[in-house]
Amino acid sequence: MSTNGMTTHGRKDSANDLEERFGDPYDEANPFGHAAIVAADERAELPDGAEAVLDEVGLNAEFVPERLGGRLTEVDALVRRLRPVFRRDAALGLGYGVTSFMAGLNVWLGGSDVQRKWLADALLGNGKVSVGYHELGRGNDLTGNEFSANRTGDSLILNGRKEVINNAGRAVAAVLFARTDTRGGGRDHSLLLVDLTRLDQERFRRLPRYRTLGLRGCALAGFEFDGCAVPDSALVGEVGAGPDLALRSFQVSRAVMAGAGLGILDAGLFGVLRFALDRRLYGRTVAELPHARSTLAGAYADLLTADAMVTAVTRALHVLPASASACAAAAKYLVPLLLEDAMNALSVILGARFYLREGEYAGFGKHMRDLPPLGIGHAGGVSCQLTILPQLPRLLRGTGDAAPAAVFDTAAPLPELDLAKLRLFAPAGDPLLAVLRDDGTPPAIAAELAALTDAAAAMSPRETGVAAGPAALALTERYALLLAAAAVLGQARHGDAPEGWAELALDRLAERLRPSAALPVFRPDAEEALFGDLVDRAASGVGFCLDRDLVHRSLAP
Amino acid sequence: MRYSAFADAERLERALGDPGDPAAVFSYARCADLDDADEFPAEICRALDEFGLARHYVPVEFGGGLADYQDCLQTMRMVARRDVTVAVAHGKTYLGAVSVWVGGTRAQAERVGALVGAGVPVSWALTERAHGSDLLAGEVTATPEAGGYLLDGEKWLINNATRGAALCVLARTSAGGGPRGFGVFFVEKSALATESYRHLPKQRTHGIRGADISGVAFDGALLGPGDLIGGPGAGLESVLKGLQLTRTLCCALSLGASDHALGVATRFALGRELYGRGLADLPAARRVLATAFADHLLAEAVSVVSARSVQTLTGEMSVLAAAAKYLVPTRTEAMIARLRRLVGARSLLRDAHEHGAFGKVERDHRIVSLFDGNTLVNLNSLVNLFPILVRTADKGVEPDAEGVRAAATVSLPLAPARHERLSLLPRRGSSFLLGLPAAVAEIEALAAHDDRLAPLAASARTLLSTLDDLYAVIRAQPSVPVAVPTSSFVLAGKLAACLGAAEVVQLWLRNRDAAASGPNAALWRNGVWPTLALDRLLAAVGVSAPAPDSMYETAFAVLREQVGAGLLPSLFDVRLAEAGL
Amino acid sequence: MPTPGTSTDAATIAPIPADLAEWLAGRVAAYLDTTADAIDRDLPLAEYGLDSVYALSLCGDIEDTLTLVVEPTLAWDYPTVNAMAAYLRAEIERPAAT
Ligand SMILES: Cc1cc2nc3c(=O)[nH]c(=O)nc-3n(C[C@H](O)[C@H](O)[C@H](O)COP(=O)(O)OP(=O)(O)OC[C@H]3O[C@@H](n4cnc5c(N)ncnc54)[C@H](O)[C@@H]3O)c2cc1C
Ligand SMILES: Cc1cc2nc3c(=O)[nH]c(=O)nc-3n(C[C@H](O)[C@H](O)[C@H](O)COP(=O)(O)OP(=O)(O)OC[C@H]3O[C@@H](n4cnc5c(N)ncnc54)[C@H](O)[C@@H]3O)c2cc1C
Repeated sequence: MSTNGMTTHGRKDSANDLEERFGDPYDEANPFGHAAIVAADERAELPDGAEAVLDEVGLNAEFVPERLGGRLTEVDALVRRLRPVFRRDAALGLGYGVTSFMAGLNVWLGGSDVQRKWLADALLGNGKVSVGYHELGRGNDLTGNEFSANRTGDSLILNGRKEVINNAGRAVAAVLFARTDTRGGGRDHSLLLVDLTRLDQERFRRLPRYRTLGLRGCALAGFEFDGCAVPDSALVGEVGAGPDLALRSFQVSRAVMAGAGLGILDAGLFGVLRFALDRRLYGRTVAELPHARSTLAGAYADLLTADAMVTAVTRALHVLPASASACAAAAKYLVPLLLEDAMNALSVILGARFYLREGEYAGFGKHMRDLPPLGIGHAGGVSCQLTILPQLPRLLRGTGDAAPAAVFDTAAPLPELDLAKLRLFAPAGDPLLAVLRDDGTPPAIAAELAALTDAAAAMSPRETGVAAGPAALALTERYALLLAAAAVLGQARHGDAPEGWAELALDRLAERLRPSAALPVFRPDAEEALFGDLVDRAASGVGFCLDRDLVHRSLAP
Repeated sequence: MRYSAFADAERLERALGDPGDPAAVFSYARCADLDDADEFPAEICRALDEFGLARHYVPVEFGGGLADYQDCLQTMRMVARRDVTVAVAHGKTYLGAVSVWVGGTRAQAERVGALVGAGVPVSWALTERAHGSDLLAGEVTATPEAGGYLLDGEKWLINNATRGAALCVLARTSAGGGPRGFGVFFVEKSALATESYRHLPKQRTHGIRGADISGVAFDGALLGPGDLIGGPGAGLESVLKGLQLTRTLCCALSLGASDHALGVATRFALGRELYGRGLADLPAARRVLATAFADHLLAEAVSVVSARSVQTLTGEMSVLAAAAKYLVPTRTEAMIARLRRLVGARSLLRDAHEHGAFGKVERDHRIVSLFDGNTLVNLNSLVNLFPILVRTADKGVEPDAEGVRAAATVSLPLAPARHERLSLLPRRGSSFLLGLPAAVAEIEALAAHDDRLAPLAASARTLLSTLDDLYAVIRAQPSVPVAVPTSSFVLAGKLAACLGAAEVVQLWLRNRDAAASGPNAALWRNGVWPTLALDRLLAAVGVSAPAPDSMYETAFAVLREQVGAGLLPSLFDVRLAEAGL
Repeated sequence: MPTPGTSTDAATIAPIPADLAEWLAGRVAAYLDTTADAIDRDLPLAEYGLDSVYALSLCGDIEDTLTLVVEPTLAWDYPTVNAMAAYLRAEIERPAAT
């Protein structure tokens, strides 16, 4: 545990600092450039020295609440500070320790003061902490988990395995989701905070690393316990509180994981724009081909939409904690889809160069391989849909107040994050959707909201669980798309978004909600404005997200 | 129903054995290992040579065994369903040689036919580093010299450029270039002075990692007069005609990838317990699989009909090939991505489920939409045909009904293709589109006596009106500016979906009686599969024509049965090696 | 492949434009979204950026208006308006084949 780390936990903007330290990704000689990162990926390692840079800036402090000595105050700021890391290398972002954050949340929420302090210190000393929910045989079905902790005297005896766990090979501690009862129902599992350095090595084993096809630098492994004792004090919260704590922590971690992917699209969009401005075909640049131009502008619009959604949801955790459960799940469901679709469309423009694992644009292909597992990791899309589904009738019932400006306006101050206020079941009337009950909402979107309201009212209670049919699950996708539209409108009203974006973004969401049989609406002016802004930002070293962060990256000479 | 085009495919399956058996030469396990190592599947290719796969690459008239393009397509599909890399590595020789079949003299075709038949890999070298799709910007030159030609310049990203013994090279024959300024040359490396060419290093790739994707640089390589295929200005024409064939055959790669992905995902779902029940018993999960199967079947239908059309509607291949090469790979990509979300964590893990095959097949398959004319190039080709397609529809040109019937009736033996009938333009429009009103009327007549066909009839009527609406929008598009507007690409995508739907309708109509009994009859009866296919295709156009839930359930039951029994996921009854042949 | 110069149906021959070059320049101009007088009739069409494949569509216009079936590659072999017009004139004046 170094005290050295503490001195760097100052208040300077670690995101800009990181960008500077990482340097231009298109510089072949840069140890943190695409070439080096792709080479590390080939070796299934994180880039040499990259973790040291994150240690130096004390990235882990972003995961620790301020009152415990860290820098975690606002969740949307956390997402922004992680962006330079994911923009560079998602395996680095996850591999270094976003999972430490997930583990931490459970303890910040439900742990004792001693546990909080201990874990905070471990993180601030640049330790890795694993989070172990998952068992390969059980997947998202947490209630089916078999890894068990049985109380005997003042010990808990651990048996079973946790699999596909990030950093399991080197973590100093782990938060584990364990079966403590077999009565059935929601109180059968508990969370444990385990000091992995003090376990009986005869009865505890770190499982070999999994070979992976994306995020190859991440060391996913597992744990195996065979009658291994840990003290009673490892319990986080009460016996049986596991699902409750986990599901509330998930609201924060889902929102953050949704936001993590933004950096990938930001980098991918830059790469393809760079190619399109440089590549000549048929006597002009690819960027002059109308289709390629629309694709670039469209991907930019969708990136901003995804950012608007992540921004609204992360801020809602502070402002509207009771209502955050469904919208966090919606973000974790929809944002990876938006990002993946945009990256796919961009890959078509990049053509053969997307398919090469070497050369100037190899970083794009790596980002493509990393993005899908980022979407699966933590909670797959369906498990997010299943979080929303039972709440849907309530969310669409009643017309509560619309979310206040502070949910959208990143300049507005935020109330402190109070994890205890997060609820598993939202109250009636979704405040974000209420933003759409306004004259300024485009008719196509308003009509979809009305249709969803009717459909939710007619939902059969039998259709709200895991056995829900495809039509019911499809409603959750519509909910997520409407939330995105609300986030766009909120951002347009209270934020500082580029010209043309909101119109284009809302059209694109409307097209997803209800594809048009003839031609979708085309808005050449909005598209040109957005394309112009994109090129300006690229040329002046500004990132493509709402916050216009400064980025080090160069267009082709 | 049985379809004789699968005879050779089943023979190949028997020869190769169960891919799940790690001891087989062509096993999933082996392919996964080769992929990890970026290693060329040399031993597997040799096994395919022994089988004589290459005879499918040479038309019968030039001494080979390619009489029916369908045999070639389905046999390549069997290779691709084990490993797309191998299919690309081996099948590329067909692409390499096609310019000769289309544009060469008989003597040239027989020479190349003998080489290919003997197992010599041939590459197709069109692309250059700086000029992807823009073939007319190519800088490789062929300069007349001593009765022959001197070849100079670099071709890059060429499949088998290093391992192959011969290449067909597109080269500039007149300094000014233009559509008549390029020729195709058949280059045998053994005939070149060693210092007059060199290989460029293999590129590491996202998928098909074992393939030899490299390049070749010529420096005054001397070619004989007989190496020019067709005239000095005939290059572009023979390439464009050749692409009509190769783009159609590329569907085999998508179908094989889709066979594989669907199998992996279905087996996962059937074996997985979640929330106290089988994943396949959860309705939403089952629908994901059934929808993927519907997409798979429609891709199969479009591929079968398009490939048969090579022989019966040869002059219309410009439109059919572009539509198929757009539709089948892009739809398969989307389908695989949806299945990936079902497979979850196992799609990422190399060793947790079937050797990490799911992740591999997704990466491998991405090449299909990218090479041999990428998605936009194919859509652009369709945009170029808008005027003639709309004009022929407006004028009510008579479709080639006999050609359509023969293309769609799979029990009908076809005469070998007459390559000289390939045309850059479908003069009479597209017979599938022109014939749609009659086909829809036929379905309505059937439905009048059979209520169970009502959903199909309703979807078919919707298809017809959708096509009319689409024509109207296309007509209103500004006349053909040089820089094709984005809206035209959107319309081309929709038109391709309508054309695919028209092929689906024909295939069902012409074979429903023959398919009324047998193991897959449930798909054919009551119009189940075409109703599902129209649901999916019309959704792509933005039109809602939902098939009844019960039809999705029927499809899922067939899929479960086929995958469980080691049969090909297919409209037809095809036994794979897994079934124990 | 149909041979050049085979007229489709003698009974339906529409009035053939007297000035073929003028008419062709008009068609080309329509594709380029410009006017006929902006087209230099001795300049290869490719110079206008008229995609060579697109130029194939011209043969549809020719078929419709002149009721002449021509090779789709006409515009490749006769790359300027004047060259194409001269070729078409010769084809029209040639006695119809059987
Ligand atoms: C990069 C990465 C890092 C990870 N790191 C960690 C970690 O550090 N700690 C940890 O605990 N876990 C980790 N995981 C595991 C992760 O939590 C699991 O991948 C996730 O829980 C999903 O489990 P599964 O893929 O096994 O899906 P399963 O639960 O088996 O589900 C499979 C699929 O079934 C479908 N499905 C499920 N239910 C239904 C339904 N009712 N209706 C229809 N379809 C349904 C869904 O499409 C789902 O994707 C990581 C995963 C990845 C990819
Ligand atoms: C693994 C692999 C194997 C290959 N094998 C071969 C081979 O064996 N032989 C061979 O000759 N080539 C081969 N290629 C090259 C392949 O065919 C090229 O990818 C193709 O020529 C397109 O070039 P490009 O991808 O560089 O994209 P470009 O042509 O440079 O296009 C870039 C982008 O411009 C836009 N664009 C291009 N054309 C249009 C249009 N008409 N309308 C609108 N937008 C357009 C699109 O957005 C496109 O993606 C291979 C490539 C790969 C990756």
